[in-house]
Amino acid sequence: MTGSPTPEPSLDALAAAGFDLDTLSEEQLEVLRALTPRELSLLVDIKARLDEVAPEVRAHADVAGGALF
Amino acid sequence: MSVSASVELGAKLALATPVLGGATALLWRPDGLRERYLRYLGAMHSLVTASVPLLERAGARCAELDDPSARRLAAYYARHAEEERGHDDWLLEDLARAGSHPDPTPHGVVVELAGAQYYRIEHEHPSALLGYMAVLEGHAPPPRLADRLAATTGLPSGAFRTVREHAELDGGHLHDLYREFDALPLTAHQRAAVSVSALHTADLLTRLFLSLAADPGGSP
Repeated sequence: MTGSPTPEPSLDALAAAGFDLDTLSEEQLEVLRALTPRELSLLVDIKARLDEVAPEVRAHADVAGGALF
Repeated sequence: MSVSASVELGAKLALATPVLGGATALLWRPDGLRERYLRYLGAMHSLVTASVPLLERAGARCAELDDPSARRLAAYYARHAEEERGHDDWLLEDLARAGSHPDPTPHGVVVELAGAQYYRIEHEHPSALLGYMAVLEGHAPPPRLADRLAATTGLPSGAFRTVREHAELDGGHLHDLYREFDALPLTAHQRAAVSVSALHTADLLTRLFLSLAADPGGSP
């Protein structure tokens, strides 16, 4: 008998937002499973901002990098 | 599984880092870069103007708290304030060498960035500033960016001191910050507040860079 998969609400929400979780370590996934609602909401918002400009970003990805002090 | 505070924060920020990288890709695109770089310098001057006062206020707030982390945190903030002191002047000098000047009206998102930290220091806990600092220190310019910007914009090399020198400085600063974060006896709630502060900062910085990237141009 196989049971239903354990619910993973945070990981499911991150995947639905378009984050690629397949490359993350189990340690990273464990941290993300314990995200608070506020943290999860901020991450989803951040991802949505990039999605709005994704085609332009792909066109200029060679100059990506930090810019902060 | 129990992970250190810095590993926990790093795992969360790892999801935000590609987004910030994407926003900076648009910021540094070649077309219109000269004008955009000047607007970027103006925004960074406004932001960096708040760095030392934020650190000093957070240190002073620590002194008001009966909290096991406060003494060590205050000492760290005092040390870091000395490391950051004068960097706003570097940006003024870069602007002057580029033939420009600071904008007397700070970008609205810069006000949100610094203002959110003042709120957290006063009404949440001064350790929340660590999240803001982790994002800034963790996204330093790559080593060859200054030369690339100089070549594309045609501006004099002296207009890129801040970008050039922070490529060398900030790696060590982030290491120091994570070491302090791991050593502080913060509660789970305070650790979460640092994470929220960091993710909020990453979100606002993405907005700032996309705003600067979308600006159609003209005199900064």
